[in-house]
This record gives sequence, structure tokens and C-alpha cells, in this order.
Amino acid sequence: MEFLSIPFAIFIVVVFALYYARTNRRWQHFMLFAASLMFIGYYHIVYLAYAIGIALFTFEAGKLLHKNIESKWRPWIFTISIAILVGIWLTARYASPLFPLGISFYTFQALSYLIEINWEEEPEDDLMDFMLYMLLFMKFLSGPIERAYDMLPQLKEKHSFDYENVTAGLKLLAWGAFMKLVIADRIAPSMNMVLNDVHLATSAQMLQATLLYPIQLYADFAGYTNMALGLGAMFGFRLSPNFDRPFISLSTGELWRRWHQSLSFWCRDYIFTPVSAEMRRWKKWGIYFALLVTFVTIGVWHGAGWTFALYGLFQGLVIIYETATKNGHEHFRAKVGDRVYRPLMMIRTYLLFALSLLFFRVSNVSDVFYVYKHLLDFHINDAKELSLGLNDNQWIAFGIAVVVMFVMEYINSHKNIIKWTTTQKAYVRWTLYFVLVVLIFFYGNFGVEDFIYIQF
Amino acid sequence: MTKEEALEALSSIFAEVLDEKDIELDYQMTANDVDRWDSITNMTIISEIESRFNIKLKLREIIKLKNVGALCDAIVSKSK
Repeated sequence: MEFLSIPFAIFIVVVFALYYARTNRRWQHFMLFAASLMFIGYYHIVYLAYAIGIALFTFEAGKLLHKNIESKWRPWIFTISIAILVGIWLTARYASPLFPLGISFYTFQALSYLIEINWEEEPEDDLMDFMLYMLLFMKFLSGPIERAYDMLPQLKEKHSFDYENVTAGLKLLAWGAFMKLVIADRIAPSMNMVLNDVHLATSAQMLQATLLYPIQLYADFAGYTNMALGLGAMFGFRLSPNFDRPFISLSTGELWRRWHQSLSFWCRDYIFTPVSAEMRRWKKWGIYFALLVTFVTIGVWHGAGWTFALYGLFQGLVIIYETATKNGHEHFRAKVGDRVYRPLMMIRTYLLFALSLLFFRVSNVSDVFYVYKHLLDFHINDAKELSLGLNDNQWIAFGIAVVVMFVMEYINSHKNIIKWTTTQKAYVRWTLYFVLVVLIFFYGNFGVEDFIYIQF
Repeated sequence: MTKEEALEALSSIFAEVLDEKDIELDYQMTANDVDRWDSITNMTIISEIESRFNIKLKLREIIKLKNVGALCDAIVSKSK
């Protein structure tokens, strides 16, 4: 069930009404659980079997590990449970004919849960709450990857209907739909035209696609995340944010603290920190090694093949370079001043990210190098080819929407826009909502694309 | 060693690793409050602390460190 579909709209209205019909915690959890099973099973019953199996296994493994925390069996129980989870994930990912949707997201949640118990956190003893932590429908397909100890306490709270929370959720949902439909899906067919087979594209088109793809991916994934967070808020949950204005980053290191945060913080806490701690007598070389391991893992988390490994390696190498040359950067910053340094570094970071994303998007390594080779040929046969299949009005609408998105995010970083709307007079609020909905319907590109991250 | 002495020593380690001479630490500070104290510099700081005080922190202890105060406590209890 896609978030942006009629079946989902009906589904959410029914679940929402039933959820708040009684504020009894058992009732609400049962409703959410039934809804999540339906949501997952609607795609494929096998997906549901995987998800329930992994959740049950993790629940039991957590209890067993906790019971043996002082015993000599602890490392065995821990290692074998982790190996089983990773094994199932890798097999499903690479060797099964049917890729179970959401598995990379909920397996990482399961791993973090067991690692935390191994670090002497208490396991959850309510099976229903644990199942919801693993399977809650709004975050099932593409995250955010939640931490048990953020999410489980929320499941113990009482969730009575809160007008402000619910409307804030609806606004976030609408904003996410705007990002997805008006920005990401508008440009998606053009990006596909160039990047699905780069040999059919001209060098100017390749340059355009390389520069615009980060914006498509961002509007798509951050749009999805806003919708997930909005749906969460409607049911009284605070899901983890996944993006914090990544394109204002001054370095690739900073970008990864602002981009797909629930994955990168996961890898920071469970891969980088342990590996760098283990290697710390090697001083900076240990840190560089840990960075490479962490980023290659982030890369291959997305899928099989050299392209994703190289996508991760690219990030790792750039961040090592940044770490090694930090003093030089500070020197340069002092010399040219912040007014020059900041925009320059933002552009540099964006361009490097755009180049790295070709590994993420283009289907094989030799095609990526083909693009690199021809990126700056500046060869144009006919100015028309630059339209990439969109007419002038569509380009203008797309351009304005991108600017609106970045400006809104800028304002929001100083003043919470959703909160602000609640303090406005009714006519101001309703005009704004009306404009947003009209924009989505007039300028949105409907029914073309799945969310990009659904494949991971 | 007292907690205050640990804080003082820690300030000089932070100043050196983060290349910020005028850094002023207090017990409540976390990585969010200190520029350039991130997951990368953190491990350099930890290994510097270990060699300066001749102590060894366990992985779990490193992970559970929440702020500068907790770091000072760890140093005091380990170097006894």
C-alpha cells in the first residue's frame, strides 16, 4: 500500500477512527498491530512471514541474552543471534527471488536492540510493544530506523486524541506529499531518461542529471520521511528525524550527520565507535580504517554489487581526506573569511555528493566512469535536448518548488512553521492549507513513481 | 586525583586535540556543545586520555559516556 494511493487513504481513515475510538492502551496497540499486519500483508504474505519471524526471533534472543548476561555463554548467544539476523538479511537481499520489503530497515532495528542488550540494557517484556517497535506500519517500508530505547517508552504512554498533534501530523504529511509529487516525481522521468541508460544521453544531459539527481533523491526520501513522521504524529508518536538540511553542509562529514541520519547514526554507534575504539592504538590510522569500514557498510546496506560499495568508499575517502586536511581548511577559512568559505564549501560538498550518487543510481561501474569521462564535454546538438522531456512551464514550476522547499526549510530552522500556523487567524491558516493542496494537485505528477528507498 | 583536577587535565587534552586553545569545559557539556567534538575527534580524545592517565576504558564505558562530567568520573575512578 503506497502512502500516496486511494487504498492507503481509506486504510488510514479507518485505522485512525478505530484507534481513537477507545484510548485504552491494549485496544490501541491491538489496532496498530492489526493495521501493520494488513499493511505489510497487502504487499505480499511472504513479507509478513519474514517480518514476524525476525521480530519474534529477536524478542526471544533478547530475553535469552539478558538471562545469560553474566554467564560464559553470553558471547556465543550474542554472536550467533547477530549472525542469524545478518544471514537472513543477506540471503533475502541477495539470494531470494522475492526481496522482502522493509527488511534492511527492520533488521537494523533488530540488530541495534540486541547490541544494546549486550551493552546491558534491559530487554522488553511485552511482546505486543516489541512487535510494534519492529513492524509499525508508517515506518515499515523505508524507516526511519528507530532505536528501541526511543520508541518503546513511547509505546508505554497513553495516546489520547490531541488536536494539535494530529493536525501537525497532517501538515507534515501534506508537506511530504508536496516534496514527493511536485519536486521528486516531476523530475523523475527526466532523470530516468538520462540515468537508466547513460549511453543514450548527451554530455550536457549527463551534466544536468548529475547536478539534479541529489535534489530528486532528497525530495523523494525526505518527502517520504516527512509523511512517515506526520503519520506517526497523528497516532501520537515522535519518530526520529532523518534529514536536517543536508545541502547546507560545509563538508562531507557534516553531510552525513544531516543525511539519512537514522542510518548514519546507527552505523556511527554500532560500527564506527566499536571499530575505532578497537583500533585506537593505531591513532589516526585506526580512525581512517574505521571510517572506511563504516562507509562501505553504509554503501552495501543499499544493495549488492560494486556500485554501492564504491558509493560508500567514495564517502569514506572524502571524509578521511577532510579529517587529514582539517588544519589546512581552517587556515583557508581564516584567510578568505566565512562569507567566501561557507558558500564555496557548500558547493564543493554538493558537487562531490552529486558525483558519488552516480554510483548509487547508475547500474554499473563502467557506466559511472563513462559519465565522469564525458561530463565536461559540453557538447550540445540541439538546445531542445536540455528540456529532458519537460516543457518550459514544468521546468519553471519545478524550479520554483525547489526554491520554496529550501526557503521553507531555512525559515523552519529558525522558527517552527507548523507551530507558527497554529497561532495564526483561521483565514490565514486555511488560505495556506488551501494553497498547498491546490499546488500539489495542479503541479504534482501523480501515479508515476514508487519511493526510491522502497527498494532497499 | 579529584574530579576538578581531571577536568583541568581534560581541558588541556581537548584544547590540543580540537585545536581550540581557549576551550572551557564544564561537567554538563556534551558533544553538541563543543564545536569539532564529534565521533571522529572523540576517539582521538579517548586514546589521548588513556595514554596521559595510563588507564584503559572498555568499549561499553566509552559508549555510555554521556558528558564531560561522566568522563571525569571515569578518569578519577580508573586512576585510583
